[in-house]
Amino acid sequence: MAKRDPRAVSRREFSKLAVSAAAAGPFLVFARRARASQKTLKIAKWSHFVPQYDAWFAAVAKEWGQRHDTLVTIDAIPVEQIGAAAARETGTRKGHDVFIFPWPPAQYYRHAIDHAEIYQQVAAKFGAIPQIAYRSTFNLKNRRYFAFTDFWTPSPVHFRQDYWAKAGLPLGPGHYGSLRGGGKHLRDEFGVPCGLAFSGTLEGNVTLHTILFASHAWLLDPNGDALFNKNVFGVVALKYLQALYRDSGTPDQLTWGPGDSARAMLAGKTSCAMGAISLLRAAEKTDASLAGKIWLQPPLLGSNGMGVTALPHITNCSVVWQFAENQAGAKQFVADMLETSREGYAKSLGFNFPTYPKAVPDLIVQLTKDPQANPPGKYSVLKDALHWTPNLGVPGFATPAFMEIFNSFLIPKMVQSVLKGQSSPENAAAAAAAEMQQIADKWKQIA
Amino acid sequence: MSTIREQNSLVVFVALAAMTLIGGILPNSGRAQSTPSSSSPPSFNPPPCDYNDTFYQDNGLDPTQVIGRFGTARLTGPPATGNQVNWVADSTCSQRDPDRRNFRILATTAGYPDDGTGTATDFISLLGFLTNQTAFETTYSRTVGAINGGLDGDQQNAGEVISIVNSANPRSITMQTLVSNFEAYPAVKQRLANGQIALNPCQADMVSPLAPATPCFDLSAVSAVFTPNLRQDWRFASNRNAMDGSDNNCINNDPTICGSNNDSPFGYFCDDLLGMWINTFFWYTVDPANPGATCGPILTALGKKNGLTLDGTPIVKTADELNNQLEANGCGAEGKLAFDGTDGGAVWDVCPAIPDPRAGAIAHDAFLDQVHKANGAPQNVGFTLNFLSLQHFGVFFNELTAAQQNQISSAANATTPAT
Repeated sequence: MAKRDPRAVSRREFSKLAVSAAAAGPFLVFARRARASQKTLKIAKWSHFVPQYDAWFAAVAKEWGQRHDTLVTIDAIPVEQIGAAAARETGTRKGHDVFIFPWPPAQYYRHAIDHAEIYQQVAAKFGAIPQIAYRSTFNLKNRRYFAFTDFWTPSPVHFRQDYWAKAGLPLGPGHYGSLRGGGKHLRDEFGVPCGLAFSGTLEGNVTLHTILFASHAWLLDPNGDALFNKNVFGVVALKYLQALYRDSGTPDQLTWGPGDSARAMLAGKTSCAMGAISLLRAAEKTDASLAGKIWLQPPLLGSNGMGVTALPHITNCSVVWQFAENQAGAKQFVADMLETSREGYAKSLGFNFPTYPKAVPDLIVQLTKDPQANPPGKYSVLKDALHWTPNLGVPGFATPAFMEIFNSFLIPKMVQSVLKGQSSPENAAAAAAAEMQQIADKWKQIA
Repeated sequence: MSTIREQNSLVVFVALAAMTLIGGILPNSGRAQSTPSSSSPPSFNPPPCDYNDTFYQDNGLDPTQVIGRFGTARLTGPPATGNQVNWVADSTCSQRDPDRRNFRILATTAGYPDDGTGTATDFISLLGFLTNQTAFETTYSRTVGAINGGLDGDQQNAGEVISIVNSANPRSITMQTLVSNFEAYPAVKQRLANGQIALNPCQADMVSPLAPATPCFDLSAVSAVFTPNLRQDWRFASNRNAMDGSDNNCINNDPTICGSNNDSPFGYFCDDLLGMWINTFFWYTVDPANPGATCGPILTALGKKNGLTLDGTPIVKTADELNNQLEANGCGAEGKLAFDGTDGGAVWDVCPAIPDPRAGAIAHDAFLDQVHKANGAPQNVGFTLNFLSLQHFGVFFNELTAAQQNQISSAANATTPAT
């Protein structure tokens, strides 16, 4: 039997450390003087929407570094700058060892190691790779995993229960038809518009991709070619959005920056939103009374056979670059972080849903007994979230072409051109479909 | 213990004996009905009855808001015709199942299962309708199983509380959410009294942009989904989303086995205990007389395969036909009524599917509720054959012997008037 390195730390010990480290306070960069022999691990990550999570993460990483004789540095990058930062690093093949994206970084697969070994490493304890991870991080062409995902974030509907009760819908809109009808009623009677984000932000992107998917307006076919606008679903969905915006919207929906749609709802200016529960957590922190009025419901019931579904707001994907200077440490760190999922769930205030159910085995209990929930049990509607949350890229995988469509904000641009009256739904759909095909063709050539 | 096969044989034997007594198989369509006498054959798969009020409440529904509830309303009238009645008083209902009340349902509505086969094999009981979200309870509490004293005088058990809190059951699921996973597809007639075909419903929030808003067909009354107002038989998604995988949904974590990860956690027969559905109305957005270059060939092919509805449009039997052939090409659309009741009409149905219609579930006095052609013939005789087979032999038509099939076919033909 191999001797255990006295400096090594078991997974159990690592988890304990993670808990104790949480109290250590915010450290985003650990610029200690390094010994000559000491290794370094450079991490770039998206700035979490729950601020205290990043502080906890930094503390955990610091402790991990101490146990592995490694100087860990962390750069937190605003979500909207993640794409540019990753492009810079892959362009120069220089930068961080671990790069953590808020979505599947399929476009960077040529710069990523095969993360299969990390999935294999954690399988013994946490089980086989879950569907959402497989379909979010597997490249079908080269049969390699371009990232490792440990958590994701559902996108339920948030609605002001007091407002919607006045519209005769105390349990929320339920389906897209009632969203439009009830939203119109609320705006006409009470001057409160519906607040879905339609702008070129992450929340706008996820919201609009969700609405298209729930309308059966799929973007790519199984061969990777543009499917959008090869049937009428896309144009019908755009006409629905046109009517929804006309009947229940506000011009602000087109100009909101990151987080603005959540802020509008927190200010009582809108009646509903789709997205992560960080909105509700912010309300709980600042205005308990308001938080009690914001209720959750599963995604709206889609049409054309699509059922109840919404895309994830976040798919947390860690990439170890091929050019990482400390590749071994990076792989170990990514695998070990899975051990901290339960604490991460708590520190993220329930934002981080585990990719591996075994990583937070009491998830349902935590949701049901969430101490902040008002009314009690409010978060229980999320316990089945994995069943109504497919991966980005659905009905296929998160391919480079799909993720380029996502990251170039092609869908929000298309929708905005219709809502601003710059283009008809038919023309906007045709133009977007042409762009999608160009992107698809480009990636086929690369492959 | 007898096997299912043996019990089936018993039912078949008893049914045959009954047939002998009545001199052969006679469809009961249009005939007077009667409550089974005490000499009725024993049945291990009893026919459907209405739920009792407590069971409605335990499952999050206010029974007073169930519109047209069998046992309370709609004794006669659609789907019953002539001397038929939709339900009868039957004291055995609550004896067989304490969650039922003593009204047995005779009206047996036919529908296509949503499994892609298009077979004529689903049979349900349309117990009633909901028109408004307020029918779902927001608060409710009942303690069951409490013992204070017991036989020995010293037994104590606080029991279990069945509760609805903030509209959610103890599993923290709202009934509305649960039911949204089960869609029923009524096909309301689009051809108006003047012969014109309407390509959209009159409910403004349901209008498809693919076709003119007027003329329109009206969905504002519950009766819109009554069989005389349908152009074809229902389609039901009863087989969707079973958590136990019994519906062939993939619940395995192995990605090489499963191709999708967004199965719903709910199963119709294990979660949706009231057998409820949300109505997804579907309609043609093109005139079958002038369908256009895109839809023309699609309608022609579908009509050739499935036959035509009472409107002259093709019958739709599967999700693929509706979603991928019609809707994807702009030939059809679908929509749901507003949850706040402003559209009127049946937003949800309380219409439990019969889990297994064999071996007694279709009683001898039950009648088939299906769409008929203008000449009185069944639109899909497959429902008629299966119903009569189940009613008289306790098995589906394809499970009969050749001789039995001949008998049933003769009986079915007797329901079809000469043309």
